[in-house]
Amino acid sequence: MMRDATISAQKKLGRKTVAVLPVHYPRELFTAMDVHTVELWGPPGPPRGPDAGRIQAYACAVVRNALAFLASGGADAADAVLFPHTCDSIQGLATLAPDFGGWGKPALRYLHPKGEDGPAARAFVRAELVLLADRLGELTGRPLGIPRLAEAIELHGRIDRLRGELLSRRAFLDMADPALYRLLRRGEFLGPEDHLAELAVAARGLGEERVQHGVPLMVTGYVPEPMTLFDSLASAGAFVAADDYAAVGRRVPLSPPADGGDPLDTLAAKAFAMPPCPTRGGDQDVRMEYLETLYRRSDAAGLIVHVQKFCEPELFDVPAIRRRFARIGAPLLYLEGELEASLSGQVVTRLEAFVEMVNAERKAP
Amino acid sequence: MIARRVRYEIVSRALGPTLMAMERWGRRLRGRKGGGAEEPFGPPLESTRKLKELTTLHYLAGRFADGAVPVAWVTSGFPVEMLRPLGFHTVYPENHGAICSVKRMVPELSEAAEREGYSRDLCGYARADIGSVATGKTPVGRLPRPDLLCCCTNICQTVLYWYRALAVHFRVPLVIIDTPFVYGEARPHLLAYIADQLRELTETAERVAGRKVDRAALVETMRLAREGSSLWDECLRAGRARPSPWTGFDSFFHLAPIVAMRGTRECNAYYRMLRDELNDRVARGVGGIADERVRLLWDNLPIWFNLRDLSAVLAGNGFNIVCATYTNAWAEAGSMIDPEDPEGSTARAYLNVLLNRDLPYKLSIMKRLCREYFASGAIFHSDRSCKPYSIGQIDLKGRMASEEGVKGLLLEADHADPRAWSEAQAYNRLHAFMELFA
Ligand code: SF4
Ligand code: SF4
Repeated sequence: MMRDATISAQKKLGRKTVAVLPVHYPRELFTAMDVHTVELWGPPGPPRGPDAGRIQAYACAVVRNALAFLASGGADAADAVLFPHTCDSIQGLATLAPDFGGWGKPALRYLHPKGEDGPAARAFVRAELVLLADRLGELTGRPLGIPRLAEAIELHGRIDRLRGELLSRRAFLDMADPALYRLLRRGEFLGPEDHLAELAVAARGLGEERVQHGVPLMVTGYVPEPMTLFDSLASAGAFVAADDYAAVGRRVPLSPPADGGDPLDTLAAKAFAMPPCPTRGGDQDVRMEYLETLYRRSDAAGLIVHVQKFCEPELFDVPAIRRRFARIGAPLLYLEGELEASLSGQVVTRLEAFVEMVNAERKAP
Repeated sequence: MIARRVRYEIVSRALGPTLMAMERWGRRLRGRKGGGAEEPFGPPLESTRKLKELTTLHYLAGRFADGAVPVAWVTSGFPVEMLRPLGFHTVYPENHGAICSVKRMVPELSEAAEREGYSRDLCGYARADIGSVATGKTPVGRLPRPDLLCCCTNICQTVLYWYRALAVHFRVPLVIIDTPFVYGEARPHLLAYIADQLRELTETAERVAGRKVDRAALVETMRLAREGSSLWDECLRAGRARPSPWTGFDSFFHLAPIVAMRGTRECNAYYRMLRDELNDRVARGVGGIADERVRLLWDNLPIWFNLRDLSAVLAGNGFNIVCATYTNAWAEAGSMIDPEDPEGSTARAYLNVLLNRDLPYKLSIMKRLCREYFASGAIFHSDRSCKPYSIGQIDLKGRMASEEGVKGLLLEADHADPRAWSEAQAYNRLHAFMELFA
C-alpha cells in the first residue's frame, strides 16, 4: 500500500493524519491517540513548487522541499504537521510555513532536549509529551488514555525489536537491500499494526546461516535517498551490514526503555535509550564509540558516510568519524546528497570503485 | 599556580593598562589625534580608542589566564553572569571569529579546519575557531586553553555541534544550556527546564573553579549585567536622532563589551562614556556620516571582513544604517534580568533572545525598529553560513515592504568568510537598491 492509499484507508477508519518532519518524535503517543503519522523526508526529487525559493539555496534540501511540498498542497490530506525540534533549519521552517504561509492547518511542535540525560531533561521531555498529547486531544476531540498509551508503547516495542533484529542480523536475512529498505521505510507511513505484520513476515526469513556473502559495508548518515543507492550497492556486490541512518538505525532503541510504571515516564525514558544522534547533541566520543562498536560487531569492511549538503548536525561529526575510522584502518567513502531523485553516474562510479577497493583489501593476505 | 596568578593579575590590572596609557601618550607625542572627519563619514568616535584598549587588554590578559584562573570558552548567548562570581576568565570564540574576519584570517583558518574534514558550508565562526585551535594561529597572540566549555543554544544549535567537537579536542567538561525555541510566548515548563539547567551549571562551574558561588557577588553581577544592557540600549537609542550620531557599522564594533564583558564594571563604565559621547554628538548635530539622507535597518550579522568598504559605499551615497536587529538583541534581553531572582530571570532573559523566537516576533521587532529609528529601507544580509538568522528573511523582506512600506535588499554574503562574497555582484545590487530611493 503506498502513502496516499494508506492515508485514505486510515481516514476511513476515522483516524486523523499528521505529517511529520524529521527525525525523532514519540510515535507511541500518536498511536495511543488514534492518529496516523506520515513522515515527510523532503520529499526527494526536485522541489514540488516555487515556495522552495522562500528558503535560501544554502539550506538543506529537506526543508526547502518540505516547504514547497506543504505550500503546493502536497500534504493537504493531513490534518496537522508536526515539527520536531531537530535542527535550526526545521525550527525555521516550523515558524515560516505556519506563520508566513505554506501551512494553514494546525502546526504541532515537539521540542526534544539537547545534550545529556538528566533530571532536568527528563522532566522537560515529560512536560513536552503532556503538551503534545493536549494538542492531539484538540485535534481528535479525545483525551489521551493512559492504558492506551501503555498498549501503544508495547506495540511499538515489538516493532522496534523486529526492526532491530532485521538490522543487527542483516547477514542472516535472505532479502536484498532495496527490498529491506523499502520495507523499513514503509514504517514511515504505514499504520503500526500493518508495519508490524510486514516486519514479522520478513523476520521469518532470518536464519541461522549467513546468507549475505557480498562486501559488508556500514552506512552512517541522514536518510537513504535516493533509494537507488541500494541498487547500485547490490549490483556492485555489496550490502549494508550495519545501519546508522538517522531515518533508520538511529531510531531503534539500544535497549527497551525501563518501564517505570507510568507510561509517560517510560516514553520519556525512550528518548534517552536511542543510539547517539547528533541532532540530539550528546557526547561526540560516545557516538564515535558506538559507531566503532556497530562497525566491528557487523564485520563491516568499509564505511559510507552519506550526509545531506548543508546539514550542520551531521557535517560537524564528519571529521571525528574520519579520525576514528582512519585509526582503525577502515576504508571510508564520503557522499553528500541533496535529495536527488537518483544517483548521478559519477556517484555510481565512486560507489563501484569503493566496493571494489574494499573487496580487494578484504581479500589481501 | 600562584606565580601564574600573580602574572595574570599584573597583566590585567597593571601592565596592560600601563601599556595602553603609554600607547595613548605615544600617539599624542606623534600628534596623531585621529580626530578629523574622513569623508564620507562624520568625525570618528573618541570612545573607539577606549574600546580598542578594552579589547586588547582582555585578550592580553587572556594570554596569561590558563593555569592562573579558571578559563571558560563561552557562546555569545550564554548566561555568563553565573560564571563571573567564580572568577572565570571568559573567551568568546564568536568574538574571536569576528576579529579573525576583520583581519582577513578566516580563509586561512577555515582551510585548516577543512583539511580536518569540516565542511565549508558550516558557520564561519566555527570554522575560524576550529582552524585557530588546530593551528594555534590567531590575531590576538594566544587564546588560553579552556577548563570549561559553556554553550547555550539560544542563538543556534550550531554552537552545540561546534562545542561538542571542542569538548573532544580539549577533554574538558561541556555545559549545555538548552533553550528550546519559543513559538509565541514561552511556556512555564521551558523556563523551569532552563532554571534547572542553570542549577546544574552552577554545580559544574563550582567544581571546575574549586569554590562556591558567593550569592552577594552573583546578585551584584546580575545588577551590572542589567545595567550594562540598559546602557547599551541608551547608546543605540541615540541613533534615533537625525542625523544619527554614529553608523550601524560603528555599533557592530561597540557591541563587543556587552557580548564579552557583560556583568562587569569595565563594561558599564565604557558604555557610560560612549552614551555621553553619542548624546553630546546628538546635541551638536554631529552625524556618523557626513550627509545622511536615507536611514536603513540592518538584519543579521555584519559582514565583518567588509564593514569598512560597505559602509563607505553607503555613506558616500547618503545612506546610513541607523539600527540593526543584531545589536538591538543585546539590549532587549538584558532588561529581563532581575538581580533578586538570578536563576528565574536569567532563564527568562536568555530564553527570549531574538534568535530563539519565531518569525512574527522578529517581524514585530523589525517594524518597531524601523518606526522608532525612522528607517525607510532595510538590508537583509543573507548569511550563507548562519542559517538560523537567515531562514525566513525572504518572507520578512516581503512583509516589511507590503506591510510597512520598507524597501528591502537581500544581500548574499557570509559574516566571516570573504570567499563567499562576490564584490561586483553585491555592489551592483546595492547600487540598484540605492537608486530606489532617488
Ligand atoms: S538534513 Fe540536517 S539540516 Fe536538514 S532538516 Fe535534516 S537535520 Fe536539519
Ligand atoms: S553565526 Fe549563526 S550559526 Fe554561527 S554561531 Fe552565530 S548564530 Fe550560530
